[in-house]
Amino acid sequence: MLTGWQAYLAKTCGLLIAGTLIGWLYGYPLLGLLIAALLTLAWQLRMVIAFESALRTKNFEEFRFGEGIWQQIYSRFRHQKNRSRKYKQRYRKLLREIQDSTNALPDGGIVLNAAFEVFIANKSANALVGIHSKKDRGQRVDNILRDPKFIKYLSGMDFASGVEIRSPIKQDNWLFCRLVPYGAKQHLLLIRDITERFKLTTTRREFIANASHELRSPLTVISGYLDSLAEDPGIGDEWRRPIEQMRSQANRMTTIVAELLELSRLENTLAASSNTPVDVAALVASAKKHYVGIENTANITVHIDTQVNISGNSSEIESVIANLLSNAIRHTPADSSVRLSWKRDEFGAALTVSDSGVGIAEEHLPRLTERFFRVDSGRSRDDGGVGLGLAIVKHALVRHDATLEINSTLNVGSEFICRFPESRFIGEFE
Amino acid sequence: MHMTDITDHISRRFNDDLEDLRNSVLKMGGLVESQLSKAISAIVSGDSELGLKVANDDYKVNDMEVTIDEECSRILATRAPAAGDLRLIVAIIKTITDLERIGDEAEKIGFLASKLARMDRPADSYRELKNLGNHVLQMVRDAMNAFARLDVDASMNVVREDEHVDDEYDAITRQGITFMMEDPRSIKRVMNVTWAARALERIGDHAKNICEYTIYMVEGRDVRHTAIADVRKETS
Repeated sequence: MLTGWQAYLAKTCGLLIAGTLIGWLYGYPLLGLLIAALLTLAWQLRMVIAFESALRTKNFEEFRFGEGIWQQIYSRFRHQKNRSRKYKQRYRKLLREIQDSTNALPDGGIVLNAAFEVFIANKSANALVGIHSKKDRGQRVDNILRDPKFIKYLSGMDFASGVEIRSPIKQDNWLFCRLVPYGAKQHLLLIRDITERFKLTTTRREFIANASHELRSPLTVISGYLDSLAEDPGIGDEWRRPIEQMRSQANRMTTIVAELLELSRLENTLAASSNTPVDVAALVASAKKHYVGIENTANITVHIDTQVNISGNSSEIESVIANLLSNAIRHTPADSSVRLSWKRDEFGAALTVSDSGVGIAEEHLPRLTERFFRVDSGRSRDDGGVGLGLAIVKHALVRHDATLEINSTLNVGSEFICRFPESRFIGEFE
Repeated sequence: MHMTDITDHISRRFNDDLEDLRNSVLKMGGLVESQLSKAISAIVSGDSELGLKVANDDYKVNDMEVTIDEECSRILATRAPAAGDLRLIVAIIKTITDLERIGDEAEKIGFLASKLARMDRPADSYRELKNLGNHVLQMVRDAMNAFARLDVDASMNVVREDEHVDDEYDAITRQGITFMMEDPRSIKRVMNVTWAARALERIGDHAKNICEYTIYMVEGRDVRHTAIADVRKETS
C-alpha cells in the first residue's frame, strides 16, 4: 500500500491515463486527457477552498477522517499545532515558576537596559523602593529612585561596589543597592534591606564612643594617684618597680582611650566638615621634629614639593602623617632609613612614607587597617603602638576622599601611599 | 512610518532634549527630597552639624534650578514646541520654582535644627514634628513619582493629602500654645518648633502645586480647568 504523496501521485496519474484511454476508445485521446485534467483541477480547487474556509472557521469536520492527501495534510497540521501548544504551555509554566520564585525573593531585583530603563522588577522591588514592574516599564530607574547618592553611583559607571541609601518608602530604613552588568549592556539592580545591620553598626559605634568616654575619668584618677605615689619618697624600694609598671600601663590605656575617642569622632561626624587649605610641608616638618635627636631611631629623609597643597582638615592630616611616621620608625632598625615624600602625580597628590624595615607578609595586608590588628601577636607590645594608628589613618583619609595604598615585601620594607584626588588639590600655598 | 532622515534626526534630538530635561527635574527632585529628609533627621535627632550641612548645601538646589531654567528657555527659543511638548516645558518651569522653594524651606528647617539642638529637648523628642515631616516628605516623593509616571490619580491623592498636613500643623500650633502658657521659659524653643512646622506645612503646599502642574501637563488645557476646579472643590 502506497502512502501520502506517493498514493496521491499514483491516483492523479491513474485518473489522467484513464481519461486518455477512454478518449482514445472514442477517437479523441487529447480531449479525454483534457477532461480528466479539468476534473482533477476542479476537485483540487474545491478542496483548497474548503481547507481555507476550515482554517478560518476552525471546523475541520471534513478533513478529520479518511486517507486522502488533504486529510493527511490536516493531521500533520493538527499534530504540529498540538505540539507547539504543549511547548507554549510548558514555557508558560516555567516562566510562571521563575516569576513566582523571583517574587518570593526577599531582595529587590530590577532588570535594566543599557539606558538604565526598567524592564522587569520583582515584587520586593516594589515593596522596597516602589518600582512597579508594569507601571514603570521604560522609566529610567533614577527617575523613581532619586536619592542623589544613587544617581551619583549610577552616573559613575563603577559598579565594583554598591551604595547605601535611605529607603524612599520608610524614612528610618536603609537599603544597599548594587548594579550587576550582564549580557549585552544589560544591568541587574539588586536592592537589599540593611536596616538591621545599619542599626547594629550604629549601636556598636555609640557603644565604643560611650565606653571610651566613661573609661576616661577613672583612668585620670588612677594615673593621678600613681604619679604622686611614684614621687612619694616614703614609698619603699620594693614598690618602685610595680608602681612604675602600673604607671606605664595606665599611660598606655590613656593612649588607647584617646585614640578610640579620636576614631569614633572620625566615624561619627560628617566627612571633612572643615575644608581649609592644609600646609602639608609644615605638618611634615613638625612631625619630623619629634624624632630629631632621639637615639636609636632610623634616619628620616624628606622630599617635599611645597607647590602642592590640598584642602581639608589640618589636624586630621597631621594625625595621618604622625601615625604613618611613628609606625615606620617603630618597625625600622636604627641603622636604616625612613623616607617621606609629598608630591603631585598623575592621580592627584600623593603622600608616601616608605621604610626599609621588617615588612609585612602579603596575607596580613588586607586586615592591616582593622582596629587592634597585629601582624605578630606575639611581638612585644612595649613598642608604644596600641593598634589603632592605621584605623585612624584610614578613616581620616576616607573623610578626605583619599585612599591608602600599601606595598610591602618581607624583610625589604614597606611603603604607605596616601592618594588625594585631583579635586582636593589647590596648588601653591600663600 | 518612514520619515526622511533629517526630520527623524531632528525630532529624535528634540525628544532626547525633552527627556534629558525631564530627567534633570527628577534629579533636582531627588536632591530636594534628600535635603528635606536630612533636615527632618537633624531636628529629630538634635544633630546640629547635619542641620548646618543642609543649610549650606542649599546652593546645589539653586544651581540646578538656574540650569534647568536656562535649558527650558533654550528649548522654547530654538524648538518652538507646541501642544504636549509646550505643556511639559511650562509645567517644568513652574515645578522647579516650587522645588527650589521646598529647598529653601528645608534650609530654614536645617538652621532651626541647629538652633534647637542647643536647647533642652522635650521628652517626646519632637514626635509630632517627625510625623508631620515624614508625612510631608512622603507627599513630595509621591508628587515627584506622579510627575515621573505622568500619573493623574496619584497627583490627585497628593492634593487631597494636603488637607491632613494642614490639620497636623494646626495641632502642633495648639500644642505649642499650651506649652507656652504653662511654662513661659519654653517660649523660645516652642517658637522655633512652630517655625519648623510652618516650613513643613508650606512644603506640603508646594508639593500640592507640583501635582497640579502634573495634572495640567497630562490632561491638557481644557481638562486642566475642570480638573483643578474639581480638586479645589475637594480640598476646600
